Amino acid sequence: MTKVLMKGNEELGEAAIRAGCIHFFGYPITPQTEVPEYLVKRYAEVGGTFVQAESEVGSINMIYGAAGTGVKCLTSSSSPGYALMAEGMSYIAACELPCVVINIMRAGPGLGGILPAQSDYWQATKGHGHGDYRVIVLAPSSVQEAVDLMILAFELAEKYRNPVLIVADGMIGQMMEPVEFPVEGVGEPMKDNDWALTGCEGRERRIVNSLYLSPEKLNEHNLKLHEKFAEITKNEVRSELYGTPGEYDLLITAFGTMARICKTAIDEVRDEGLRVGLFRPITIAPYPYEALREAMDALPDGGKVFDVEMNMGQMLDDVRLAGEGTREVIFHGTAGGIVPSPDEVAAKIREILKP
Amino acid sequence: MTGATQESPQTGTGPLLRPGNTNCGGCGMSIALNVLGRALEGRSIQMVVPACCAIVTVGSYPASAYGVPLVSSTFASAAAVGTGLARAARMNGDPTRVVCWAGDGGTYDIGMAAVSAAAERNEDLLYVCYDNEIYGNTGGQRSSATPPGARTTTTPHGKLQEKKDILAIMAAHRIPYVASLSLAHLDDATRKMQKALDLEGFRFLHLLTPCPTGWKSEPAEGIELVRQAVSSGLYPVYEVESDGRVVINVEPDMSDDTLARYFAAQGRFRKGQVVLERVRASIDASWKTLRLRASNGEDDDRDA
Repeated sequence: MTKVLMKGNEELGEAAIRAGCIHFFGYPITPQTEVPEYLVKRYAEVGGTFVQAESEVGSINMIYGAAGTGVKCLTSSSSPGYALMAEGMSYIAACELPCVVINIMRAGPGLGGILPAQSDYWQATKGHGHGDYRVIVLAPSSVQEAVDLMILAFELAEKYRNPVLIVADGMIGQMMEPVEFPVEGVGEPMKDNDWALTGCEGRERRIVNSLYLSPEKLNEHNLKLHEKFAEITKNEVRSELYGTPGEYDLLITAFGTMARICKTAIDEVRDEGLRVGLFRPITIAPYPYEALREAMDALPDGGKVFDVEMNMGQMLDDVRLAGEGTREVIFHGTAGGIVPSPDEVAAKIREILKP
Repeated sequence: MTGATQESPQTGTGPLLRPGNTNCGGCGMSIALNVLGRALEGRSIQMVVPACCAIVTVGSYPASAYGVPLVSSTFASAAAVGTGLARAARMNGDPTRVVCWAGDGGTYDIGMAAVSAAAERNEDLLYVCYDNEIYGNTGGQRSSATPPGARTTTTPHGKLQEKKDILAIMAAHRIPYVASLSLAHLDDATRKMQKALDLEGFRFLHLLTPCPTGWKSEPAEGIELVRQAVSSGLYPVYEVESDGRVVINVEPDMSDDTLARYFAAQGRFRKGQVVLERVRASIDASWKTLRLRASNGEDDDRDA
């Protein structure tokens, strides 16, 4: 298979087409605008629906509508724009509709800046909108992985009838990197959609609705959503361990671009005899608590965990939950669009291991 | 300097738009800000600017080029944030003059609900829309103010839809003042800017502001393009009083040659993409309505 060199955002758009998504609704915001800009051109070639909405509230609700008809659909945005999609995400999850949403994270809060950040971790994994629901959240750490996870995202969305969110920092969106697409051409449309609103001639009508005025019925619905997420947690948790259990004296935890930088730092200090492993969640929701705990348990007595993020310590909560107080967790983070260099991480590793 | 309220190192009096901003060469919005700055003549204002070129290239902390107090608001909400400012100031008895300064994306599209609602409540706001017919700072996507035929990154083959008639929409709110201002007719623009500054209630001003980057036009030709848009009839310059009376401020000569030159000078219109006869028919239709409104419904022989 041949490699293609494009910008991360464009490769995400192409991956959506390969996954069979020919319905896109979006709105401009830096640093994700190349996704719609790429798709409007490609859809002119392969056939597809492209709508530039009047706002992110518009785009997520267009997705709500399109998803209700049982087609593969996509929207993309960046932090402040994704924040505007919160209510729509809640409705889509409540109605159990499949869709894929991309958040190319930039530095916040507020208008913030346009450089890469990971400061929407809490929003992506714990929040989005109101109510008790969960979203599958995938966090790629390279453009190739972003492409692969895009294909997976559409499969998971369809399988579980649940929104899937891809969170990548602006680095992945803006970086040019060669990738291989695992599939050729335009992918298959959604198969398993016998719940979709397609016109009811000859059968009972179908209704997409999340209003339950009876507390018992709403409780039942919440339980159903809860059980579904338990099933997702059982089947779909993904993570990577860089290093061999028993052969590291410090365990770094990081996700996305930050994890990739940490790998370089780990290689850098290996020559000095420092043995460091890396645990990287690929699904940041559901979070791989068990796998992380196992990786922590493989540390020697007194071995520490070092969490590195491009925020002020958000995944840190989940790392501590996984460790349940058994390990000291040290944190290093940057904000504002500053991406720590491998040297900076290596220096911190030396501080911890050679005090 | 604590919390989110920070004092810009540049203090004191001076021009509204200071040197050192990062606006593109020939930016129509910069010229429009200078028109506002000159019209102030000692009047103090407080500005609300949503996420748009006017904040990204002018107002990024700490190098804000604005010479007045300013709130940078969310994209959708200049009119809502302005409402909060103006209401709180009134309650405190502070004399205040709040100016919302937003682009076409923040007015025609994402900000429409907030603008319409503030107008309906007749908030004490001067709302200025600088219309460069494109999402500028994200690299040039279509807005509902982009004219038909224009190529943008999300309309690579030219936009199909007409642009919204924002002045008609705002006039339908029956607010104290609605006007379009031409950067090529500075006396008229300054007079209307000052009139709007001194009125109370919701006032809406619209300026066509050339964007050489998005229009793919010569930076030095911006004012000339506005002059062509006005004289060909494409950009009607008029004001609407609170009683709905329309006053046309600049009479166009409706020249087809000028119209052709306007389109030819901009790279965003590919040759053959814009059918001038169709544009002329659309201009004539809107002027027919405008003349009727200007004559209080009486027949007007000028467009016969």
